[in-house]
Amino acid sequence: MLRIGVDIGGTFTDFCGWRQGQSEPVATFKVPSTPPNFEDGFREGFERMLDLLEPEPGQPAYVFHGTTVSTNAIIERTGSRLAAFVTEGYKDMLELQRFGLRNPLNLFETRVKPLVDRPMVFEIAERRMREGALRTPLDPEQVRAQVRAARDAGAEAFVVALLHSYADASHEQAVAGIIREEVGPDADISLSSEIWPRPGEYERALLAVLNAFVKRRMGDYVGAVETYVAGRLPGSHLFVTRSNGGAMSSGDAVEHPVHTLLSGPASGVTAVQYLGNLIGEDNILTMDMGGTSTDISLITDGQTLTTGSAEVGDFPLVMPVTGVEAIGAGGGSIIQMDGGMLRVGPQSAGARPGPACFGRGGTRPTLTDAYLLSGYLPEALLGGEMTLDRAAAEAALAPVARELGCDVPAAAEMAVRVASSNMEAGVLPFVARYGVDPEDLTLIVYGGGGALHGPIFAREIGVKRIVVPGVPSVFCAYGGLVSEVRHDLTTSVQGRSVTADDIAGIFADLRGQASDWLDQQVDASLLEEVDYEYWSEMRYAGQSFEVDVQLSQEAVENRDLAAMQQAFHVAHEKLYSHCDPSSPTEFVHFRVRVKGRMPMPSEPRGMGTGAGEPRPQTRREIRFAGQAYPDTAVYAREDLWEGAHLSGPCVVQQRDATVLVPPGYSLECAAYDNLVISKD
Amino acid sequence: MDAVATAIMNNRFNAIVEEASAAIYRTAHTTFVKLVQDYQCAIATPDGDIFAYPSQSGVNVFIGIPLKKTIETIGLENIEEGDLFITNDPFASDGLVTHLMDVTMILPIFHEGELVAFGWSFVHASDIGGAIPGSISPAFHEVLQEGVRVRPTKLFSRGVLNETVKNFFMDNSRIPEEIWGDFQAMISGLKSMSRRLGQLCDRHGSDRICQSMEDVISYGEGKAREVISTIPDGSYAFSDYLEGFEEGQLAHVSVTVTVEGDELTVDYEGTDPQLPAAYNLVSGETTHPYIVQALVSFILTMEPLTPRNAGLLRPIHSRAPRGSILNAVYPASGGARAASATRAYDVLLGCLNQALPDGLAAAGAGMAGIIVAAAPDPRTGRQRVNVINPIVGGSGGRVGRDGVDAMEVRYSALRSVPTEVLEIETSIMLRAVRLVPDSRAPGQFSGGAAISLELESTAEKALITVRSMNRFQLAPWGVRGGAHGRTGETLLNPGTERESSVGIITQLGLERGDVLRITSPSGGGFGDPLDRDLAALAADLYHGLLSRERAEADYGVVFDATGEIDAEATEARRAELRSDTPPPAFTFCAARQAQDAAWPMDLRRQLATRALAFDVATRSRMVDTLHRRQVAAGTPMSEEDLQQALNAEAQAFGVYAA
Repeated sequence: MLRIGVDIGGTFTDFCGWRQGQSEPVATFKVPSTPPNFEDGFREGFERMLDLLEPEPGQPAYVFHGTTVSTNAIIERTGSRLAAFVTEGYKDMLELQRFGLRNPLNLFETRVKPLVDRPMVFEIAERRMREGALRTPLDPEQVRAQVRAARDAGAEAFVVALLHSYADASHEQAVAGIIREEVGPDADISLSSEIWPRPGEYERALLAVLNAFVKRRMGDYVGAVETYVAGRLPGSHLFVTRSNGGAMSSGDAVEHPVHTLLSGPASGVTAVQYLGNLIGEDNILTMDMGGTSTDISLITDGQTLTTGSAEVGDFPLVMPVTGVEAIGAGGGSIIQMDGGMLRVGPQSAGARPGPACFGRGGTRPTLTDAYLLSGYLPEALLGGEMTLDRAAAEAALAPVARELGCDVPAAAEMAVRVASSNMEAGVLPFVARYGVDPEDLTLIVYGGGGALHGPIFAREIGVKRIVVPGVPSVFCAYGGLVSEVRHDLTTSVQGRSVTADDIAGIFADLRGQASDWLDQQVDASLLEEVDYEYWSEMRYAGQSFEVDVQLSQEAVENRDLAAMQQAFHVAHEKLYSHCDPSSPTEFVHFRVRVKGRMPMPSEPRGMGTGAGEPRPQTRREIRFAGQAYPDTAVYAREDLWEGAHLSGPCVVQQRDATVLVPPGYSLECAAYDNLVISKD
Repeated sequence: MDAVATAIMNNRFNAIVEEASAAIYRTAHTTFVKLVQDYQCAIATPDGDIFAYPSQSGVNVFIGIPLKKTIETIGLENIEEGDLFITNDPFASDGLVTHLMDVTMILPIFHEGELVAFGWSFVHASDIGGAIPGSISPAFHEVLQEGVRVRPTKLFSRGVLNETVKNFFMDNSRIPEEIWGDFQAMISGLKSMSRRLGQLCDRHGSDRICQSMEDVISYGEGKAREVISTIPDGSYAFSDYLEGFEEGQLAHVSVTVTVEGDELTVDYEGTDPQLPAAYNLVSGETTHPYIVQALVSFILTMEPLTPRNAGLLRPIHSRAPRGSILNAVYPASGGARAASATRAYDVLLGCLNQALPDGLAAAGAGMAGIIVAAAPDPRTGRQRVNVINPIVGGSGGRVGRDGVDAMEVRYSALRSVPTEVLEIETSIMLRAVRLVPDSRAPGQFSGGAAISLELESTAEKALITVRSMNRFQLAPWGVRGGAHGRTGETLLNPGTERESSVGIITQLGLERGDVLRITSPSGGGFGDPLDRDLAALAADLYHGLLSRERAEADYGVVFDATGEIDAEATEARRAELRSDTPPPAFTFCAARQAQDAAWPMDLRRQLATRALAFDVATRSRMVDTLHRRQVAAGTPMSEEDLQQALNAEAQAFGVYAA
């Protein structure tokens, strides 16, 4: 079996390949992305990967693909023309959203424009109530008239989102039937009851809207990739990574692209979880630093953070996804003086025009320019494929240095410190929301700038240990090699009293559905292991916020209510630092997560062997915390070996990343090609 | 000021308060705090000037609130390491607390024996005692009905909990465990700030940290001054009315804003005496953020990266007369004081519209109604009190931008309750939530549409209360030729034989099957409707919120034979309709014009100001009586007659000038 992980970003498309039977990945590399026709870049990289993997004749590949095609369609608002069918009285549901606006202090704030135009929202004269009780039955002829009106108005795809359909989907299905009758059997329809059947009509409807909006674009892209892969290696399977940190078959991804909207960052966190598991780190802060932002997430007790309230573009995405927070600090963050204060970001030069030193037309100083001028970055990157223009960086930063009254390298290092404090302001409240102290965390860094800025930043928030994985810049593609086929299913019992028998029945039913889903994704013979997680969202009676509680399958099957309640009290205590075991509790929603594990590398590659003192490749001056360190050693990663030990300050240069070891820290070359930086 | 240290410390200080605010939110017990986020914390210099205030969670209306007066009341000599002060007394704290429900704590922060800062925090306690659950009713006429009141007192003394104080709060609340839980959440947030600041002082030395506190405040002040400098110098005056909960009752809110270079004076002289209703607030001697919110928003709109600290308020000097609704004295009740702050915001907006060459924005709906139902739980049948939904109404049209439908920016932290959740948890059915067609006030930039909520009781009996409804008599005003918006309306059983209009709801009983439709006010328009862009009008028509009839009548639109806008004919028609005289600065509804006919602003200010000389218990009643009498007469009186009328009124009440 061949397994290939691919991650497409705006600038680069990353590849990671592995052949079953080997413990480590065979090849990792980047090729330039080719927007808007991303499939061209994919083909180029795929061919290169096949040259390296040398498949035997007839040997299929399992390709795990991360794509931002669906996400971009939302952000750029270039999706299908939609019609939505809603319950009478709720025509303005998509317009009004949840009433609120983003910034109550901006007098010119506006509400986010919905993805469906108001005249394309059609009211259906029907009504269900709590528990799906019928109040007003559906009138097929009224529905038919509305469907025809939608069709005649040019709708390309249809959304059906009726009140209380999470409890009874029959009205939504009846409307779908009439759409098929009127528009044709292949009509493109998304039902709110299908994706994440929970109370909360706006958020549930929105999931169906987002799904319908991006479906065609996703279908076009995935279809092109699939055809190509099947043509090159017959019998191959394409999987698409998804926002919950797992993957799904390409066929399902085309039908339900809403599951892929936050897949990019989630895949990196999955890779960290795998790595953490391997090296025995259970509590991790992940940090993926890119050009415009830094994505952070948490792993606690070996579990990734799953949240039910994420955002994509301007919209809430209310379904279980890996929780990632974006902080507005990246390599492209612009450095400027602002009323007597030095500011780094939130403005960004992005990939174009990019940092001044990239020579792509950028003239404003960025954080990347500051890295170069502080001595952290070499003038040649990517093994010499890219050179950085020091003079351009100096020229761009000179005006700021003048205003600060210092020389340019000093100003550069000051900007790095300001950027660190920006990150601190983003990270501390994030971890505080989960009741975690940063001093108990290990930082695992990846992405373009993670290995460089991570160690500087760690110092500021009191993190004592930093791990730089072997392939930091293609880590999301690496996530494709280690992710499971994964799905979440839910039943809501909000407002109902449930017995232990009910609970066991609900989980058995969800598990059955999950198992069916898995069968449709992948041939059972390819799965090494299938695991089910049982979750409940619970609260104290009368509260209006729920806590995510993992239940043991044993407790569910033994109908052990006390054990389930106890799990809730413990989770409540952990999250909120208090609990009340004497108060009555409620079950609100149930969830099953199925995880199908396919063969994956058992361990990442290790470093070579060697002995003695590593020899620096070169020396240069770096600046750190206001001080200059002349003749700081710069090592080449390939000159290091497992067990080698370096003291800070020093720099380790590898093809795709630069690792900075601050003064007062030392670096150990650990197993699995990891560099571990610790406080002395 | 060190450019780098200021930037870094500003970030660190922000991280400290954001972290603490997140910790309070995470550990708070009550649903109210969890859902509405009515709490906050911040950190201040030893002088009581806030130098960092969170922006990611909690309320934003108290940015820069001064602690100075409260610290003086306590006395620095009485402050020791390990002390923690608690108060919920608006009078003793001179406005640090704006109503009794906001239980406030102050933690002196020491480093190596030296006082380096104060931590501040409050949570809106869901019940602080008093005559009704939740402690708030607009009908309460004195603070004693609203619950317990505690002047600044040590909850901890040198690290030791004062059980008496703790028990006093708990014994007087209907939910003792929950409010103590919220207090503990505050304490953990305050301790988190203290710990982090201590770490910074250890690392950099307390002198440098204290210097940085001053620097970030100066930086904020500089930004605020830059923005204020863009406002032309001059003196600008404006008045509006707050509708009381009694039929036809109006309270005058009036302000004069004087701009001189980079400084601003805000004087609420002419604002009516405090009401025997819970609309009053205490704002104290010094600039209070709650009565200058519109200015703070303006500064942060123009310079969004301005740090949120006391520096923002330094160039602003506000004052409200003691004894008025905006600076009430004992025994004023204030549970629903947000309604008065709303009108204070509106009158400042009125001044900014005059001061800024291009104007700013028309009035919005001017209320943030919270609909609450007491009805049986559909599962247990037990009586439960639930928030049904907030209802706000459209914002005013803005220079260069239409108003927001069904929401005002200043209240936009509010979120709706999903209908499905509501119908699961309560026996209220929400039949419809709609934008009201043709309710966007005409203007070059139209006002935001009204929203209408239609609810039905599915239980035998339900009791509906709505906190803070307003603008049911006087519509939101338009600016520079924009039309005024619409007033709110409530109908019981609309479209049936039993239909009746019920006006502002304080309490309303519903029987099974009764339908209540609440329609919010809509915002005023900005600019001459005849200048509205035709593409914008085409979009309005397409979206179904503007009828062809109104497009023709209000905007001078001419349609061609295919039903499309005929641009040329429209232009010709608009040329005919345009008048040579420039549009008025403000467009008021007929009811407001009737007030102004009897009470020109200056005279009405006189009434308010002179009434303050009379006994606190009766002066509001005197003003109300005189106001109504003169509106009925339809013409103004002279100033001499005014004084005589007041004296006569006082005699009728049996009191004399103080």
